[in-house]
Amino acid sequence: MKELEKIEVDTLVVGSGIAGLQAALDLADQGYSVAIVEKAPSIGGKMISLSKVFPTLDCASCITTPRMASVSHHPRIKTLTYSTVDAIKREGRTFTAAVTRKPRYIDEKECISCKRCEEVCPVYLPDEYEQGMGAKKTISIPFTNAIPQLPVMHPEHCIRCGACARACPKDCIEFLQEPAPVEIKAKAVILATGYETTPMTAKKHYGVGELPNVISPMAAERLLAPHGPYGRVLRPSDGKVPGSIAYVQCAGSRDKSIGVPYCSRVCCMYAIKQAVLLSGSLPVADITIYYMDIRAFGKGYEQFYNNARAMGINFVKAKVARVTEDAEHNPIVRIERQEGTSAPEEVKHDLVILSQGLVPGCDVSKFGLGAGLNDFGFVQLSDETVSSAVTAGAGVFAAGVVKGPRDIPDSVVDAGSAAMEAASYIRKL
Amino acid sequence: MDEKIKEEAAKDNYRQEPKVGVYVCHCGGNISDIIDVKAVAAALAKYPGVTVAREYAFMCSSNGQDLITEDIKNLGINRTVVAACSPSLHELTFRNVLQRAGVNPYLHEHINIREQASWVHKADHDGATAKAIKLAQAGVEKVKRKDPLNAIRVAAEPRVAVIGGGVAGMRAALSAAGKGLEAVIIEKAPRLGGKLLDLGKMYPSGEEGPAIAGKLEALVRAEKKITVHTGADIDFVGGFVGNFRVNFKNADGTSSQVKAGAIIMATGYQHYKPAQGEFGYGEDANVVTLPEFISLMKNSPAGRLEYSGKEIKSLALLHCVGSRQVEGVHKPQADGKINDYCSRVCCSSALYAANQVKDRYPGVRIYDVYRDIRTYGMQHETYYDKASKDGVLFLRHNETDQPVVTSDRTGHTVKVKDVLTWGEELEVKADLIVLVTGMMPADISLIKSQMKMPTGADRFLQEVHLKLRPVELANSGIFIAGTAQYPMDVPEAMAAAGTAAAKACILLAEPDIPLEPFVAVVDEHKCTGCGLCPAECSYDGALMMAVHNGKKVAVVNPALCKGCGACVAVCPVRAIDVAGWTLDQFDAMVEAIAKE
Repeated sequence: MKELEKIEVDTLVVGSGIAGLQAALDLADQGYSVAIVEKAPSIGGKMISLSKVFPTLDCASCITTPRMASVSHHPRIKTLTYSTVDAIKREGRTFTAAVTRKPRYIDEKECISCKRCEEVCPVYLPDEYEQGMGAKKTISIPFTNAIPQLPVMHPEHCIRCGACARACPKDCIEFLQEPAPVEIKAKAVILATGYETTPMTAKKHYGVGELPNVISPMAAERLLAPHGPYGRVLRPSDGKVPGSIAYVQCAGSRDKSIGVPYCSRVCCMYAIKQAVLLSGSLPVADITIYYMDIRAFGKGYEQFYNNARAMGINFVKAKVARVTEDAEHNPIVRIERQEGTSAPEEVKHDLVILSQGLVPGCDVSKFGLGAGLNDFGFVQLSDETVSSAVTAGAGVFAAGVVKGPRDIPDSVVDAGSAAMEAASYIRKL
Repeated sequence: MDEKIKEEAAKDNYRQEPKVGVYVCHCGGNISDIIDVKAVAAALAKYPGVTVAREYAFMCSSNGQDLITEDIKNLGINRTVVAACSPSLHELTFRNVLQRAGVNPYLHEHINIREQASWVHKADHDGATAKAIKLAQAGVEKVKRKDPLNAIRVAAEPRVAVIGGGVAGMRAALSAAGKGLEAVIIEKAPRLGGKLLDLGKMYPSGEEGPAIAGKLEALVRAEKKITVHTGADIDFVGGFVGNFRVNFKNADGTSSQVKAGAIIMATGYQHYKPAQGEFGYGEDANVVTLPEFISLMKNSPAGRLEYSGKEIKSLALLHCVGSRQVEGVHKPQADGKINDYCSRVCCSSALYAANQVKDRYPGVRIYDVYRDIRTYGMQHETYYDKASKDGVLFLRHNETDQPVVTSDRTGHTVKVKDVLTWGEELEVKADLIVLVTGMMPADISLIKSQMKMPTGADRFLQEVHLKLRPVELANSGIFIAGTAQYPMDVPEAMAAAGTAAAKACILLAEPDIPLEPFVAVVDEHKCTGCGLCPAECSYDGALMMAVHNGKKVAVVNPALCKGCGACVAVCPVRAIDVAGWTLDQFDAMVEAIAKE
């Protein structure tokens, strides 16, 4: 192990999605020093991989990248990417976090982001940033807008051919690099660990993982993104341009059978948004959304929903019982309409997107900070009618989806208030 | 940014020979799908005065920004043109890039080739490309003529005025005071608490409205940095960022003034009041709104739900009254507009109320007449679940088939075309009709008109950008907290108020505030003192005639001037310019665009 690196700041922010970034900026702009720890190789969280975002249809990058840049340039913010928080201890007024920098297998200080290692590497891997639809090299910069622009090597796939080491003009490939320990001392902690989508395996009868043309909403985001894996919308099984696309709402929310009885808040709107974007890129496609209730409750959302209906997107109130496929891998959706007729029907589509819900991205109880969790693993606030960020753990605050599903506008607003609570807490120490 | 860099930036390349860098953004396909960005960069690279022209996928990203700083460092670029999205989105981003690199941030021109070219000429790729080139060339001409500018710094009152003493206002004041900023709450009612004072048991905590307000009030009273004025009737709000004034009449008839560097608008909502006869409201005795019903429940004896002394054995909840209205179906409001927005909180509060009825009076039959049940919050789905289990009967109608309420001596009948039973027309009898009313913004027309605050089509205060600047009004230094912006529940209002306080604290973190330098500048040598311009100025005190060096001339107060240019337009001798937007610059831009 390397020598212990020590960092001392006012606030530790765990997670660098939009909530973590905003909380860090709102603190740093008030004069507080911040360290952000992010487990992924780049800051930006889930939002940076999205296409466009409702209800304004701004491209997600246009909103996220400037914040990422502000954070990385901010004189009072230190970011640790590709690093995990292993434990946080509170002693008196100080939190001490044990953090591990995972090895990228390069000398991070020397690397000039020239990408020559990536160019010469002969081994391709499925690219998780593209939801497995594209390929990346075993040593590669995670995605175009990543911050920092540092490649990560995946030793489990590396064939030790040495091509990268020979190509590197700065001699910074380090095959034997080890994890490096970091100790962060802070006066307050903001948890902004975000979410994962409801596991696809939870709904076997929706054909997840088995039917190639039944995809996740995150994969649909990448298909729609400007720099997506195919540069246009194609279905995975055969590269055909889909002429009929369906969304299955509440696939992983409002469903006790999979332990997610709550509404995930964002799925109605992201499905409608994707439908709107799809009808832009595939003007002749039929798009159907099978739903229970359309929950367009935010500012401008109902109007967005109305516009989608006016564009010809087909909203069908129906519960989807199961999804199968025919010989050409066309998904067949079995539905029971709740309007019109009640006889079960089977409808064939070219592509089906399961509107998965949100579950906690991290079990924050492992940090042992005294912040209580609710039945579903989200952080429970002390009294949400008094403060939107104060947890039961003194000096521990929560921002964004760590407290329960919420959309981007709600998370941005939420983060500012978490920053404010941390600032007040530090001042009163 | 470091003071030192600022000073450097101010001195910088003043009157140096312009070396312009042009940066064309793909905007991740938003631009490059239509416009040939390589052709734009190539055309600009050859344009006089341009040292380098590049294109990149996302100029606003860190990589894109680095391209610019590298060129400044390596090629000596001292002026930049970025051809990209709207300046409202990212002009500031690029000004910061220049500042970081030691170039005066105002030697930048942001050209919008997205909204003004690629988005509006989707079918004409060549035309859009040609237009983008012309616009960028005009930008080069303008930036070549730009002078370095410095932000105007005004001393700020280290205090925030919070207008409205409901829960959002109290939270905002508490958060600001927590950071050490003095906060003044100005509330028109005789006591703090706002709308919550009239409400009974509320989700999610199950506490009564006054109890929730009471918790915050206790914290407010204990906070030394908060001053509270109740019974305060505001008659004037004026000033500008850093130096606002709020004048009000106290309950005892005396007048007071609060000076503040920032204002937080926590002016809240009003319950939608159904029109006379809307589902029988105001005409038939037993038609009430949800807030009225919640109070009624509070006052009913145990074992018997009572209204006007009579027992209520059945009731019907009608959702979306005054919300999600549809053109042609609903009657417009007094201002001619319909309420086409969702009021967000009503589904959950209606079902929460229904559950209380079922808990206390299990025999009461409840019909819930709805379009979509929007119980979106963490625990809200359990309210829906419980209501279904306890036998609340749900009837769902389409927006165009509104339920009809008729009344006779035996009670009310609700006629619903219920889509859940295949469009069957159902009639249910109910002793009481509860209209689940939504929210409308409180009437703040006086303040809004005095400060020219923007509102959306929904009449709520309009933020600058839902994701980038979600609690800021376009009026610099004025922030929004809570339901003045949009319907929200108490926990959501807490988050919004905390963030509004954060923005106020960031703004007032230093004793003075930097303002945009785009203000009118008078050339005293050219000014003839004709006096035409002050008559055109819409900002009190921004432009006045005064005697200066023995000559009557127009004089600008830079802190008040908004740079609108009305004075420039009327000046017969071109003596006034708006800094950063001079007539010479415009002439050059027009020439560049018109050139064959």
